[in-house]
Amino acid sequence: MAKVLEGPGMGLMKKWGINVPNYVVVTSVDELTKLGQANEWLKKSKLVAKAHEALGSRFKLGLVKVDLDFKAAEAATKEMIGRQVGSITVTQVIVSEMIAHKEEYYCAVKSTREGSEILVANCGGIEVESNWERVKRLCLEIGQAPSAEALEKLSKEAGFAGPLTKKMAEFAGKMFACFDSEDAQYLEVNPVVTRASDGELVALDAVTLLDGDAKFRHPDWNFAFAAEFGRAYSKQEEEVMAVDSKIKGSVKFIEIPGGDTAMLPAGGGASVYYSDAVVARGGKLANYAEYSGDPPDWAVEVLTEKVCSLPGIKNIIVGGAIANFTDVVKTFGGIINGFRKAKAEGKLKGVKIWVRRGGPREKEGLDAMRALKDEGFDISVFDRNTPLTDIVDKALQAK
Amino acid sequence: MSILANKDTYVVIQGGVAGVNAARRMAEFCYLIKRSLNVLAFVYPPDAGKTHEIPYGSGLVAVPIYKTVAEATKHHPQINTSLVYIGADRAMKGGMEALDDTHIKVVSMITEGVPEKDAKILGAHARKLGKVFNGPSSIGIVSAGSCRLGVIGGAFDNLVLSKLYREGSFGVITKSGGLSNEIIWICSQFADGITTAIGIGGDAYPGTDYVSYLEMFENDPQTKAVIIVGEMGGDLEERAAEWYGAKKRRVKLMAVVSGFCQESLPKGMKFGHAGAKEGLKGEGSARSKSDALKKSGAIVPATFGALGPAIKDVYQDMLKSGQVKEPVEPASLPKLPKSIEAAMKADEVVVTPLIRTTISDDRGDEPCYDGYPASELINKGYEIPHVVGLLWDKRLISKQEAEIIKRIMMLSADHGPCVSGALGTIIAACAGIGLSQSVAAGLIMIGPRFGGAVTDAGRFFKHAVDNKMTVDEFLTYMKKNHGPVPGIGHRVKSLRNPDKRVKELVGYVKSLPIKTPCLDFALQVEQVTAAKKDNLILNVDGTMAAVLVDIGFPVDSLNGFFILSRTIGLIGHWVDQKRQDSRLIRLFDYLVNYAAPKRREVPPLK
Repeated sequence: MAKVLEGPGMGLMKKWGINVPNYVVVTSVDELTKLGQANEWLKKSKLVAKAHEALGSRFKLGLVKVDLDFKAAEAATKEMIGRQVGSITVTQVIVSEMIAHKEEYYCAVKSTREGSEILVANCGGIEVESNWERVKRLCLEIGQAPSAEALEKLSKEAGFAGPLTKKMAEFAGKMFACFDSEDAQYLEVNPVVTRASDGELVALDAVTLLDGDAKFRHPDWNFAFAAEFGRAYSKQEEEVMAVDSKIKGSVKFIEIPGGDTAMLPAGGGASVYYSDAVVARGGKLANYAEYSGDPPDWAVEVLTEKVCSLPGIKNIIVGGAIANFTDVVKTFGGIINGFRKAKAEGKLKGVKIWVRRGGPREKEGLDAMRALKDEGFDISVFDRNTPLTDIVDKALQAK
Repeated sequence: MSILANKDTYVVIQGGVAGVNAARRMAEFCYLIKRSLNVLAFVYPPDAGKTHEIPYGSGLVAVPIYKTVAEATKHHPQINTSLVYIGADRAMKGGMEALDDTHIKVVSMITEGVPEKDAKILGAHARKLGKVFNGPSSIGIVSAGSCRLGVIGGAFDNLVLSKLYREGSFGVITKSGGLSNEIIWICSQFADGITTAIGIGGDAYPGTDYVSYLEMFENDPQTKAVIIVGEMGGDLEERAAEWYGAKKRRVKLMAVVSGFCQESLPKGMKFGHAGAKEGLKGEGSARSKSDALKKSGAIVPATFGALGPAIKDVYQDMLKSGQVKEPVEPASLPKLPKSIEAAMKADEVVVTPLIRTTISDDRGDEPCYDGYPASELINKGYEIPHVVGLLWDKRLISKQEAEIIKRIMMLSADHGPCVSGALGTIIAACAGIGLSQSVAAGLIMIGPRFGGAVTDAGRFFKHAVDNKMTVDEFLTYMKKNHGPVPGIGHRVKSLRNPDKRVKELVGYVKSLPIKTPCLDFALQVEQVTAAKKDNLILNVDGTMAAVLVDIGFPVDSLNGFFILSRTIGLIGHWVDQKRQDSRLIRLFDYLVNYAAPKRREVPPLK
């Protein structure tokens, strides 16, 4: 799952023949000024300026300005760039042409188990949310493309009439073509509007989620994927992602500010059960993490260092199920090195470490962890005979 | 009984290294249950025609590698299952190839990071053909006592601990690979173990869902209960609940679902597998899934930790009702033969080493020379001659001795292009031969007539000194037994045209407060021989030899000093020719005295 910002999202739609407003993405006012000299529409049209970042509720934050002339757009850009919102700094602004329109519609394509679904409604904007029953669907099996007739039928069902029926059907067809060809998982245009100038349907806003795993067959995906939490990735998260992309197996790390229970479990499945256990016991997660697929020890060491550096933590949960092929000695070696480094840097003061694990070479691995007691770590080590998430109970009950 | 994989399952593995590792694990399982290896073939075009040797017990089974699935099934018609370990960008093609083969009924894809579209296409294609496509991102499938596909089940000792050598009564379906082993283990501790455990993979749209396997388990009388380990995202758990609630089912359904933590996390934060994502309208949350399952009549423990006791309760009920009997454990189980390393560690075997070494060891984090770590030698100011001393004579030589060696090496690094060694290297370099071979061509020349007199000279001077010979006795002895004295005599240099290098070396060594019996003797010999013939002077080989013997190097290592230092020159000559892009050389006719018979007619063959 990979979120794509509006600019590249619009770019993909344009590629598949969908009308989008003229737009530019800029990183400075000077850039916009230069573009204004080169593109007549910037000087002629009314403009919209939006912060081009993975931020929720931009409107409320004052990061969307509408009905601007070029001068006002420059001023808005100047004001937005460099603004701090939580952990995000606004670095890009998208300036697009404001399309005069009356009606607003809705069109989306989403992934389903059997294939995909095209959604159409003859209302749009926030109206869709409250009138979800007006959204009509066309289900498609994988490998099947929608026929012109089926699309027109969908358009009619959604309440489109006259020449608009065919226009909406064609619009939905292009949306499907874009979805299918670009390995999208979700594509939503809300609103779709009728351009007052020529009566054509135009996509005013795009939500684009692509399948990151398909990047290998899309050499033209030259944009970065955006974080999906409504905030940018932190430096630590990015460093772990960089390691993750280089190795066999995986290491994952997401920070959750304000928590006191740090997670360092193995396995994509078990890690979520561990997180659940912390929440169920009334603990506060300081992060999410997991390593799996027999990653190299140095990668696990990097992950460990990040976990140990989380502020205000009281416990570290080094949990894990019984591994299939992840070598416990090797991966624990990485964790132990990370712990030692953290301790040498004066971290881990008063932090309790809880270990539970099974798998290839489990005994040696657990023995090595136990030996950390002699180095002054506050560490409790359990084997496969202690149920998976019991260490969380022990940690959160310990005083 | 079991589902999907059994005693009649025979496998082709598509892919490289990861597939071979899986085959090794599968062989361990086959060995445990006393079944011959069920991997009959690999498909991996780059290595087609070769074999992989898979350890089975203490032996090896050669498993052939083919270019295509069709070739593999043609040679091994009993193959009915394929495991796909091909990289994500080519996995769909490989999966399709397997599905389209008439022999193959089950395809399990282990590859992670396969695009969703590809997984959907594969799943749809399999359904159309009435075959099973399991995965992607599957950890594999294991049926206790009969068949293992992939690395599911972990290491050999875990197979035994989890009682996978015999059937139990519980079926397992998990998205998570790591948790499959955990559940198998729990089933063996709180109940009688499993029938079949299946990893369906944690992707958003796995090829096969819970329901298809629940149907199979329902029809397997050996399976009395099925445990689903689910997680948030998608609707597979809801569909399973729907199936279970639709009518009275023979099997009991138990389930846990992860992802409750999402309720108290920042919105949009996504954890775990690719498929672990909530719908935009909150569908697919852990809570809605677990509620649906509860409503359908499934047993849903509040936490993962409560699963064990819940399984125990279900099992005890089955025992009471006579549905199952306590399992009979086999009297003995095969033990996996230990590797030599493990057996040595456990003091179980004595190994006669093949070679013995006394000079160096690189098994730690850095090489040690005669026990001294290389980095420490560097940091404490030691130099190359000290390394020579450690590796050739196993001693830390003094600063003075190191200086002598350094000077010897500097003096004999190169003697121009005309000598045998350099000429050999140059001819090879001009013939386009690589560095190491060209240098070797030059080094081959070092012997009794070129450069190799150091060892011999050292040996005879030492013999004379050890036996307290006079110069006359020595010369008589040499004449009688060996001929000319090695280290004495020079083609060009003479008393009137002395060799500067010899003067340098002798001067420096004599200026040091060390005893030099060999050098002194050699100089005495020179006085006698040079008086007889002008050019019978102590040459550089003889000088080196005498000095090196005096500072205690073994006679057999002496030629090494010449080989080592001259290698510097030979490398230089090769690089020099390379840099000039020299052409192939041929000896000029006028440099050859053609003394062969003149041209003549060949007589008729008799």
